[in-house]
Amino acid sequence: MWLPFSATFQRNYLVMKRAFPWSFFLGHILSGFYIIIFAYLSYFFVFKKDLSSSFSTYAGTNDYLSYVILGGLLYSFSVSLLMIASRALITELREGTLESLLLTPSSRKGYFLGYVAQGLMRVCVEFAVITSAGYFFGLHLHHINWPGVLSVLVILVAATFSQALVLGSFMLYFRDTYITQNTLFVMMGLVCSITFPASFLPDGLRWIGNIMPLTYGVDALRMVWIEGKPLVETIQLLWKMIILGLVYFPIGSFLIKRMEKYVLEKHFG
Amino acid sequence: MIEAKGIGKVYSVKKKKSFFRSEKQIVRAVNGLNLTINEGEIVGLLGLNGAGKTTTIKMLSTLLNPSEGTITVDGLDAVQDAIQVKAMVNMIAGGERMLYWRLTGAENLRYFGKLYGLSGNALEKRIKYLLDIVGLTNASDTPVELYSKGMKQRLQIARGLINDPKYLFLDEPTLGLDAPVAKQLRGMVKTLAKSDRKGILLTSHYLEEVEELCDRVYIIEKGSLILHDTPENITASVVKDYHVTIETSVLSAPVQYRMKQGLIGCTLGFTENADSTVMQIKAPFDPTAQIIDLCVKESVSIQKLELKRPRLEDAILALAKEKSA
Repeated sequence: MWLPFSATFQRNYLVMKRAFPWSFFLGHILSGFYIIIFAYLSYFFVFKKDLSSSFSTYAGTNDYLSYVILGGLLYSFSVSLLMIASRALITELREGTLESLLLTPSSRKGYFLGYVAQGLMRVCVEFAVITSAGYFFGLHLHHINWPGVLSVLVILVAATFSQALVLGSFMLYFRDTYITQNTLFVMMGLVCSITFPASFLPDGLRWIGNIMPLTYGVDALRMVWIEGKPLVETIQLLWKMIILGLVYFPIGSFLIKRMEKYVLEKHFG
Repeated sequence: MIEAKGIGKVYSVKKKKSFFRSEKQIVRAVNGLNLTINEGEIVGLLGLNGAGKTTTIKMLSTLLNPSEGTITVDGLDAVQDAIQVKAMVNMIAGGERMLYWRLTGAENLRYFGKLYGLSGNALEKRIKYLLDIVGLTNASDTPVELYSKGMKQRLQIARGLINDPKYLFLDEPTLGLDAPVAKQLRGMVKTLAKSDRKGILLTSHYLEEVEELCDRVYIIEKGSLILHDTPENITASVVKDYHVTIETSVLSAPVQYRMKQGLIGCTLGFTENADSTVMQIKAPFDPTAQIIDLCVKESVSIQKLELKRPRLEDAILALAKEKSA
């Protein structure tokens, strides 16, 4: 698995150096930035810092700006990661390199991990830029439990990677990236407690958030970032993320394998 | 040896009936095909468009699983032991796909080499060797997007050889290439088979290429095998006609008559020109020697003689005509 991992990492790094995906990079930063600006303007000019008591109850904090900015930050992080992993094979298909990849006896897990590990370099830069922007709009940086933040992010990356395998197989099936991914992203923005607690949503919608690792990731991150709580207090949320990852991973691996054959039969045969 | 026994491939295809309605249709792309490829042998796979050549290559190279039948590569099952089989085979397709255009030639080979489990000095040596044999050493650090079509095709060959495969599948390898580059590639293919003892399966629309390179040829039609033999035997069994055109001094009617009588089993036609006669002869054998003897006997001076032997192309065209009739 190591050789496909390092080969894919190196290949994508070289491609990124020669043709940096500026549109994705700026797009993700801007989407995070819009969430911050929207929250800031609404907070000060629409409801004039007047939060309902139910917000504090559901969100577990009175710091609305940090709540929303962290939501936007992690939403952008999660979307970037999902896009990187799920688009890998469909990009190979579009560039005409899928066959040469599938001809090799290499481990597909190594390939995907290499793809994601290299993509994380870009995602981390996006994360840093959005965090810096968030700081100027009210994101608190003082009580942060840094090891806790790191642990939440590592588990979120693993769970999101598994979810991306499922998304990627749908993309291969429909041979579409735009509608498939954006339907999921819009849904995530709505049900994963990004700008408001999901508890405000009707029950019929809330269950969708329960099957998204981001829902638990964003709640856990807020606890260790805004309140500086110890990691142990987030353990339930972390377990939920791990379980979702463990469910998505075999499903995604199975579907991706099926879809590899499917696209070759469907579109080249 | 690669041995395919009774392989078949069935696709389910959706056919649009109206804007909202589509119907599932079963398409049989390959049907009960038997095929072998030995080491050091170049085997041709011919057929008209949609005959099932590409599907067959994809099954042999493990990209697709056969719906029926078995494929073994040196005794290993291509479906059950796909990982081991993948290490022993490779495929080169015509066109400009299967390479990363943003990477240089050397980087492409390094990437694929690692995917085949090569690393360190062994990989670097292999890259250097392959770039050298395909004549891309000077362009090794140039991004592929700046390569010409011929250079990309040569790099494809290097990619196809990166794992030193025992068996190589060439799907239209000279598609769209200039004549000199195509000739160079044909030379390379011959060397790979005859000197490096690689078993090669070749599909090509250029039948002269198949005739020049292949030891044996399989001809398939709608997924089924219709003929399997050497190119010479296929041509001889399908196309019987030799065509000879001779331009001579003007022939008188009695000489023309004696010529017709002397060339038994041949069909003759004469065209009179101002200072010459053009004789067109069609025969189920090569009548050249007989014609020359007759001309000498009749003291006819030959100004021009052209013999058209039956070619594999004629055989394929005849078979296609026969099938469509």
